[in-house]
Amino acid sequence: MNSTFCLGIDLGTTNSAIAVTDLEQDRTEIVNVTQLLGPNQIGERATLPSALYIPHPDEFPPGALRLPWQTGDEDRAIVGVFARDHGALVPDRLITSAKSWLSNPHIDARQKTLPWNSGIDEKLSAVESSRRYLEHLRAGFAYAERLQNRDWNLADGTVVLAVPASFDEVARNLTAEAAQAAGLGNVTLLEEPQAAFYAWLSQAAKGWRTQVGPGDVVLVCDLGGGTADFSLIAVTESGGELALERISVGEHILLGGDNMDLALAYTLMAQLEAAGTSIDDWQLLALVHAAAAAKIQLFNDASLTDVPIAVPSRGSSLFARTVSTSLDRATLERVVLDGFFPLSEVTDVPQQTGGAGLREFGLPYASDAAVSKHLARFLVRSLANVRASETLSRLVGARAESQTLLAPTAVLFNGGVFNADPIRKRVRDVLERWTNGGPVRELQGAQLDLAVAKGAALYGRNRATGKGARIKAGTARSYYIGLESSMPAVPGLTLPVKALCVVPQGMEEGSETLIAGREFGLVTGRPADFRFFSSETRSGDTPGQILPNAERELDESSRLEVELPAVDGFPEGQAVPVQINALVTELGTLELWMKHANSDRRWKVEFAVRTE
Amino acid sequence: MKVTSIAVAGVAVVLIALTLVPAAGGDRPYFAFGALVCARVVLVTMVVGWRQAAPVSGAGPQAPAATPRSVATARDAPTVPAAAPPPAQAAPGLAALPQPSGEAEVVALLAVLQEKGRLVDFLQDDITSYSDAQVGAAARVVHAGCKAVLSEYFRIVPVRAENEGAKVTVAPGYAADEYRLVGRISGQAPFNGTLMHRGWKTESVTLPRVLQPADDRLPIIAPAEVELR
Repeated sequence: MNSTFCLGIDLGTTNSAIAVTDLEQDRTEIVNVTQLLGPNQIGERATLPSALYIPHPDEFPPGALRLPWQTGDEDRAIVGVFARDHGALVPDRLITSAKSWLSNPHIDARQKTLPWNSGIDEKLSAVESSRRYLEHLRAGFAYAERLQNRDWNLADGTVVLAVPASFDEVARNLTAEAAQAAGLGNVTLLEEPQAAFYAWLSQAAKGWRTQVGPGDVVLVCDLGGGTADFSLIAVTESGGELALERISVGEHILLGGDNMDLALAYTLMAQLEAAGTSIDDWQLLALVHAAAAAKIQLFNDASLTDVPIAVPSRGSSLFARTVSTSLDRATLERVVLDGFFPLSEVTDVPQQTGGAGLREFGLPYASDAAVSKHLARFLVRSLANVRASETLSRLVGARAESQTLLAPTAVLFNGGVFNADPIRKRVRDVLERWTNGGPVRELQGAQLDLAVAKGAALYGRNRATGKGARIKAGTARSYYIGLESSMPAVPGLTLPVKALCVVPQGMEEGSETLIAGREFGLVTGRPADFRFFSSETRSGDTPGQILPNAERELDESSRLEVELPAVDGFPEGQAVPVQINALVTELGTLELWMKHANSDRRWKVEFAVRTE
Repeated sequence: MKVTSIAVAGVAVVLIALTLVPAAGGDRPYFAFGALVCARVVLVTMVVGWRQAAPVSGAGPQAPAATPRSVATARDAPTVPAAAPPPAQAAPGLAALPQPSGEAEVVALLAVLQEKGRLVDFLQDDITSYSDAQVGAAARVVHAGCKAVLSEYFRIVPVRAENEGAKVTVAPGYAADEYRLVGRISGQAPFNGTLMHRGWKTESVTLPRVLQPADDRLPIIAPAEVELR
């Protein structure tokens, strides 16, 4: 089927966006999303805040929250600017960071648990929230096209959905499921840092080959509103052409630009309190916005020494109760540069929360705000990952030999935070410090905002046309199934769980593996349950390999469930010999099958929901 | 519509007058700024009124309701493209939204200026008893918020790019509405003179679309806020 366009969707933790590539004209642009700006007020914005507000039935007049494409029969939950702004004052009814809940091992993303810790009755699940964001983007796109008199239907295009590189298979599948339910059909998944890289490739056009060369390792440093996502891409030469391969991805780190604005606001609040002025929660919200604006002003204009800040009171008297203070450059540098990007050592890894025996159950926010330390941990783990495989070691050459971390030679920034020159410079300084002064170039021409959506659309274009550079990637992790050890039980000793590698790291889209020479007995007629593990640092493991201790070496992702209906020739309850068959679909999702050893019959294994 | 324009223009006049009062002292720029905002409201009122009066060519009877409001007023091509002309009839699947009145749109803009920049709070309060420092702090709130609204919905550029005080030439065939010639006017253009005020014009207006409340009431400028515990 010939596509006429490709959609790229950035389903962000705090903001989402959608871009479209017109294949005929080869033009990529952001689609402004129509959304509620207030009751009875509609407008377009380049991004759709990933915030969902569930209004009380009596809260707004009937029809005040209706979007142009709605008939009025829908339930009243709203998404976007107004949901975010109004929800900040009514947190019990506001859902944010739904995406991070998708990859949270502690909850079932299909259970109605959000807003988290809220007492309201009308809760939604993380998958359903994501579906609503995607549905709004889909309807917004259709609406924008109609207004331009283009009767594009989704069936005439392809959709690429960007997901964090740190998402494991369970979170990826949940995202694809939400997209399917939102009416987007079968979407292709793409890692966000790769999307940013595709956007840069397109922006730099032919010039990209002059900016990187064989032997380069590019760090994609993506800092969104609420998450940090790192990847490494190696540049090599094959047959006279430059080739790109993604060689390492980072962990899911809940730390981003919003944390910086919050930290500044709390610092200013302490400053006010020291001067004898206290502010309420509402004023704190205003202070966060004011601090964010002052931060941008100070970073953009090096000649300013401080920016005055005024925070109004909640009541109607503006003159009597407006509180004023100022943000000076020293405070900004102390809080943002030294707090979030300290010149730390390679050996400085993020502090884990310890001490307190009880920890509040919720999203696993990074307890260490130092982005530098998370970056150090990522680069050290990347080196371990590369060393584990000869193929990857060859890609990065001698770099992998002597150092304690995998030293990047260039960096591509993404995310609005990096609009500030001092922050980009600080990250380069930190990297150069770790690599003993080895220069780290900044790739020029990066678009810091909206690059992920555009890059996703451009990747769709490259796939549809077969033109343009492609990053060789495949699965970011290797995957394992837990096996009970067959050892005699020893009282008081828990036996280690062994792990069978079923999917190697880097397994490419459209390929499959069959673990030969090893059969499992699967009982028919009742559900069988497996433990499922993954790792992003074991690039050398091959399908069929067995690790002695899964819990020590791997991350537990999920459980797997399979139920075989009764099979001809096998009485119910008797084990059927099966082999494990893994395949990565063209769309980038992983499927596991149990294949009957003596016939072509096979049964799909479902990723069970997470529970703990 | 006219009533609103006159009322807001009145506020602008009062603010301009305030800038001339010697006691105003350091608050002067703020009054001037308030006047500017009011003038802007008047401008929008007029633009809305003008648009309603002008026949919308090529548009069906219900179509414009669902179209983003974007008006380009510049003679030269605006850098921000105006939205495409509205479809001849409402595209299938797009429900027609109720068309708001011009008054409702102006009140909605006032509501945005209040929401983001506390403009109505600023103007409704009695300013006499407060110190310059208090007025200054409040003005920062108004300035930051209203400026954000202005730059979001209007593309404002000076009529003349030269510095005020510079010698300028007003070329033949100039747009008479873009210039106010004062002093001694005689003969034919080009006119040579000193630029006293650089002037402002807006190249495009993209207002948020307003849904008229069902019972034809005007939108609320700012709802009363009640915190429940």
